[in-house]
Amino acid sequence: MMRHLPAPGSFAAAALLAATALLAAVALLAVASPRTAGAADAVTSYTADPQQGRIEFTGVQAGADFTGVFHKFTAAIAFAPDALASSHFDVLIDVNSLDTMDNDRDTTMRGADVFDVAHWPAAHYVTRSFTKTATGYAAVGALTVHGVTKDVPIDFQFTQTPAGAKLEGHAELKRLDFGVGRGDWKSTEWVGDTVKVTFSLVLKRKA
Amino acid sequence: MPNQKYPKRYGAVAQGFHWIIAALIVVQFTLAWKAVNLPLGVRQLALLARHKSFGMTVLMLVVLRLLWRLKNPPPALPPGMAPWERILARVSHTALYVLLFAMPLTGWMMSSAKNYSVSWFGLFTWPNLIAKDQHAFKLLVSTHHILSWTLLTIVILHILAAFKHHFWDKDDVMLRMLPFSRAKPTPEQRS
Repeated sequence: MMRHLPAPGSFAAAALLAATALLAAVALLAVASPRTAGAADAVTSYTADPQQGRIEFTGVQAGADFTGVFHKFTAAIAFAPDALASSHFDVLIDVNSLDTMDNDRDTTMRGADVFDVAHWPAAHYVTRSFTKTATGYAAVGALTVHGVTKDVPIDFQFTQTPAGAKLEGHAELKRLDFGVGRGDWKSTEWVGDTVKVTFSLVLKRKA
Repeated sequence: MPNQKYPKRYGAVAQGFHWIIAALIVVQFTLAWKAVNLPLGVRQLALLARHKSFGMTVLMLVVLRLLWRLKNPPPALPPGMAPWERILARVSHTALYVLLFAMPLTGWMMSSAKNYSVSWFGLFTWPNLIAKDQHAFKLLVSTHHILSWTLLTIVILHILAAFKHHFWDKDDVMLRMLPFSRAKPTPEQRS
């Protein structure tokens, strides 16, 4: 029986050969799919400058559109067109900073029956996945408003600039999905359910 | 059109404009008084939305009414009127037309200044007349308010004048604006 077994020295050589082959295979795989392997490094991280960017919302009131903005927000954007799987948006909006250019309406919207900013001062959007579209990109993310979290898709364009990038896009949502509008304001007869959101963010590359 | 040859009475179209606008003025005052006594809320929003739609209706009607009036001059005033009466009639009628423009226009500007675009019964939205401006809004609110009292005063004067013509002077000045009535056959009025 002993005669048929390889010598201890040749066993070690075979093991070494196998290990080398395995390493080579891993290296080869890595070379063959550089996107997957290098994705974590390929995204660029940005922050948005709220002074230059805009997050706008347009609702319908008594049959006519009205538009407002959120003055205060922060956005952590990690994005690369060739690394969508690792891209990630995290946008935090100060709901109290809403401005529709009318104090009466702003006060009403901050109040308990609409956004209830005393209890829910922030709106938060966190992306989950990205896809390439014909005109730009689309993302699906979780939007939390008024303490309610729902998936909201966004469409956007991403344009690189010398200092960073520009992110422009839009989304559409239903205010009542988030419980925004209670009591009299729940009716959609005078205040529409659909709210359009548009954003134009000026992104600075993170140092 | 009989009133083309002998404009002794207002024609059906002129009467239509007069009475529809008169009814809308009543509606407008009612909606406005109800709305200002309500707190901020959906019900006030709804009343004001109707107020704006009816106001824009008045504006459209008064444009058409003036165009119609240019093509179809109104009947002449009765010959027996004193010069001061003629002047007063002319001034008050002109003031009424001016106010029928000024009321909806200041209202429309108010809405624009407050960033509340005016919808016409939800069918379409009028463009904003001026830029959003809180100070302009406050100024326009007072203007709209003062003009509404001016309008009310002149309307009351207008109604009292019509009664005076009918019951005191016993002429057909009031009757010729009333549908289903016949002008008194006074031959001296044919002018």
